[in-house]
Amino acid sequence: MKSPTTYFDSLPRVAALQRRIADADRSMVALGALSAFVAFLVVLPMFWLVWQAATVEASRAYDLVVSSQTAWITLNSIGLMVFVTAFSILLGVPLAVLTSRTDLPYPRFWTVVAALPLVIPSYIGAIAFVGMFGPGGEVDSLFGMTIPRVHGLWGAVFIITLYTYPYVFLTTRAALLSMDRSIVDAARTLNAGPLEAFRRVTFPQIRPGIAAGALLAGLYAISDFGTPAFMNANVFTSTIYWEFSGFAVEYAALLALQLIAIVAIVLVIEAGIGRDEDVGGGSGRGSVVRLGPWKWPAMGFVSGLGIVTLVVPVAIFTNWLLVSEGDPLPSLEFEWTYAFNSAYLALLAALVACAFALPVAYYSARANSVVSRVLERATYLGFAVPGVVIGLALVFLGTRTLPSIYRQGVWLLIFGYVVRFLPQAVGTVRSSVLQVGDETIEAARTLNAGPYQTFRRITLPLIMPGVVVGGILVFLTTMKELPITLMLRPIGMETLVSIIWGAQDALAYRYAAVPALLLILISGVSMLVLLRQEGGRLG
Amino acid sequence: MVRRDSSSTRDASIGRRPFLATAGASVAGIAALAGCLGDDDDDGSDGGSGGSGDDGSGAVANADPLGEPVDSEAVTWDDLGDLEGELTIYSGRTRDQIDPVFVALEEEYDGLTLNVDYDDNDVQVNQILQEGEATPADLMYSQDPGALGELERNGAVQALPGDVVDAVPESYREPDGYWTGVTGRVRAVQYNSERLAEETEFDSGDDLPTDIFEYAEDERFEGIISTRPNSGTFRGFIQAMVELEGEEATREWVRAMVEDQDVQLFSGGSDQAEAVNRGGDDDPIVALGNSYYAARIINEDPDAPIRATFTENDPGCLFSIAGVGVMNDVEDPELVAEFVRHLLAAEGQEFMMDANGEYPVVEGVDYVGDLPDLEDLNPPTFDLSDFDMDLQEAQDLLTEEGMTV
Repeated sequence: MKSPTTYFDSLPRVAALQRRIADADRSMVALGALSAFVAFLVVLPMFWLVWQAATVEASRAYDLVVSSQTAWITLNSIGLMVFVTAFSILLGVPLAVLTSRTDLPYPRFWTVVAALPLVIPSYIGAIAFVGMFGPGGEVDSLFGMTIPRVHGLWGAVFIITLYTYPYVFLTTRAALLSMDRSIVDAARTLNAGPLEAFRRVTFPQIRPGIAAGALLAGLYAISDFGTPAFMNANVFTSTIYWEFSGFAVEYAALLALQLIAIVAIVLVIEAGIGRDEDVGGGSGRGSVVRLGPWKWPAMGFVSGLGIVTLVVPVAIFTNWLLVSEGDPLPSLEFEWTYAFNSAYLALLAALVACAFALPVAYYSARANSVVSRVLERATYLGFAVPGVVIGLALVFLGTRTLPSIYRQGVWLLIFGYVVRFLPQAVGTVRSSVLQVGDETIEAARTLNAGPYQTFRRITLPLIMPGVVVGGILVFLTTMKELPITLMLRPIGMETLVSIIWGAQDALAYRYAAVPALLLILISGVSMLVLLRQEGGRLG
Repeated sequence: MVRRDSSSTRDASIGRRPFLATAGASVAGIAALAGCLGDDDDDGSDGGSGGSGDDGSGAVANADPLGEPVDSEAVTWDDLGDLEGELTIYSGRTRDQIDPVFVALEEEYDGLTLNVDYDDNDVQVNQILQEGEATPADLMYSQDPGALGELERNGAVQALPGDVVDAVPESYREPDGYWTGVTGRVRAVQYNSERLAEETEFDSGDDLPTDIFEYAEDERFEGIISTRPNSGTFRGFIQAMVELEGEEATREWVRAMVEDQDVQLFSGGSDQAEAVNRGGDDDPIVALGNSYYAARIINEDPDAPIRATFTENDPGCLFSIAGVGVMNDVEDPELVAEFVRHLLAAEGQEFMMDANGEYPVVEGVDYVGDLPDLEDLNPPTFDLSDFDMDLQEAQDLLTEEGMTV
């Protein structure tokens, strides 16, 4: 009696198909191994935290973990995260629709303006905002107009939102660009109003994109130290720094692990929200929403946002440049190498992060197993831990494993950026992989394309908007990264942000003017180049 | 060396006065100094560093002076040996504080390269402790003695040469010479002079109390006072108060500040000084902290309303130091030792005085500047490396009393 298998074996075409499936399985296993390796690398610094925390005596650990203060700051941190996430969605999603789905003039320009706040360190933004609009600030002394005090938890929510909503804006925009727009028109022809069409057709399609950006915004908020500290908001990172500044690194490590535990819960919850059924996609062109006279308020709104987040810091620093009577500080004097260093580091970090993100994101989106999800989520942990703590872990690991490159070249520093920012690329790439329908890939396979060929010729072009946005996110955030840069840079290497920090630290803001302006210009131009790439692919 | 008259305008009867930073005077001061550094001594290379490091022990304590030894009388850079080679310095100080002296040294010695790594003081210490033997640093230039003490307790620094140790009074260094202060400062009370006169019952800075306990007890400070509890010198101040007044009184001071005065807490010294200076309705009018923040603001903007005054003979005017410790494993012990000697020589001391409005630690160098004489403030003296209460306990005390940021 013939078994069904041998029966099918007798059919050459079926055998070929089986081979291809076996190929595909093998390539998935290889992909899984690669993902696991990437995840291991970026989680490595967390082992240092565990090792440090293990040296804390039990009673002290108990006091630290369950004090009433801890409960209070945990609540504050969660509040900060929730509200920043919510407001970032409220700001980012409409902006994404505006710049990609309407006939807004110069959409690429406005896209860059709306994305650029990501390059400004939020505490610098906070200092500038308070110095400009706060009581006693510039506007107050010039016009006698002042706004309520931006302070405390709400102050931190406000400022952090202004500088993190671009996460949601960019990921949502990528999702909008990747989805098949013709179905929206189909919905409209079925008499659905624009809002209903958005809610019932567009929203389900771009939900993974929104979720990816919202998660990044939330995790950024919970790991930020500078802005809550400036605003006097007592959050989890405050306590970590309190111990850190008292040289009790082991306590700081224990608290950082507690923060990671909170974040892990968030990641699991979010995995439920962001989990999707493959949503399908395409690059079909659809009609755009005509703004008519509404384009003026729309452009005014984006301009206003750009003025508050980008122009104000530069203006405040430039004002100091003009009026200051301070002594020259030679080591803060601007040099073009600072700008080059910033762009170079950010570019390397973006490239490496995208290379690391592709296997993890692709595997997680296609395998859709518990293992693949755990690997993907693991890459987020580094994003939620304050930079100095990760930095210290890398100092330890770097001096113990590769002393020859420790502060000798940029590679350990680049690795540090990847540990911190990999999830930005993983999230965006993954959500764009999810939008590539199974049937598209199967069609390619039936045309005898191997897994690699399918990926290169079919999948990669389709997910390119996601990869580009992932690269942009890593690029922009690396441009502004401070703690790891200061700790791991080759000694004497200065970047735009290290100079801005140096100027702020010495209360010589005039030296921050040129670097801040260049930070914005270089990032803006780089973004334009990258967006052109994305447009070319889509065109 | 000293060009400016120090005290003719001081209100000696009060013994303290609002200080107007070193603004304006400092550029002229550096120019004047440059004059006395003019005679290039590149030819004086007889001290040379050619024979350095031959024993390979890395023991800086045994590094013989390349020229004259330093002493408490303040030698000049001309008396010292040449600096030649590369040094890597981890700095917890800001650029405005150390740039002038480092730039001057590099100009003085063609063969000298200083690689300076800037980061927050506490980050530098934590980083050195994690780096262990692999640290690329030769020296740590720290903002406060607590940080240097942490390095010493962890065995990360080595003893300094005998002449360096003897040049600095014992209360300004680690007794066995594992670190030394380079300059000193006293903790201050910063205030917004305009708001103090207009919005409070104090007429001027002269009305502010000279007793640090009154700042916690006097109702007039309720809601208008601030401090920055995460700084090294604030913890030093708490340690000093415990030593002088006992733990109970210190706890009561902290408690009263938090509960009665509703003290505003800042996590950055600059942020605090700027808030005082900006003077919005909710900003503090009086702030406990280091005086150099006020000096920086006035340096940038001479019309700024921020001023500083001091308490007298109590922990509130704690005399603290910024100083250096040498890492265990350095490439060129003679160079490192000679570099430290340069900081303690007359020009090193005077550059710091000029740039930061700080006090010299070497007795032979006269203080010039606008701050009150130390004799008038009469700050209590301590072994800064060994307070009765250790740093972690001081930190815990603040946590328990709710004074954390």
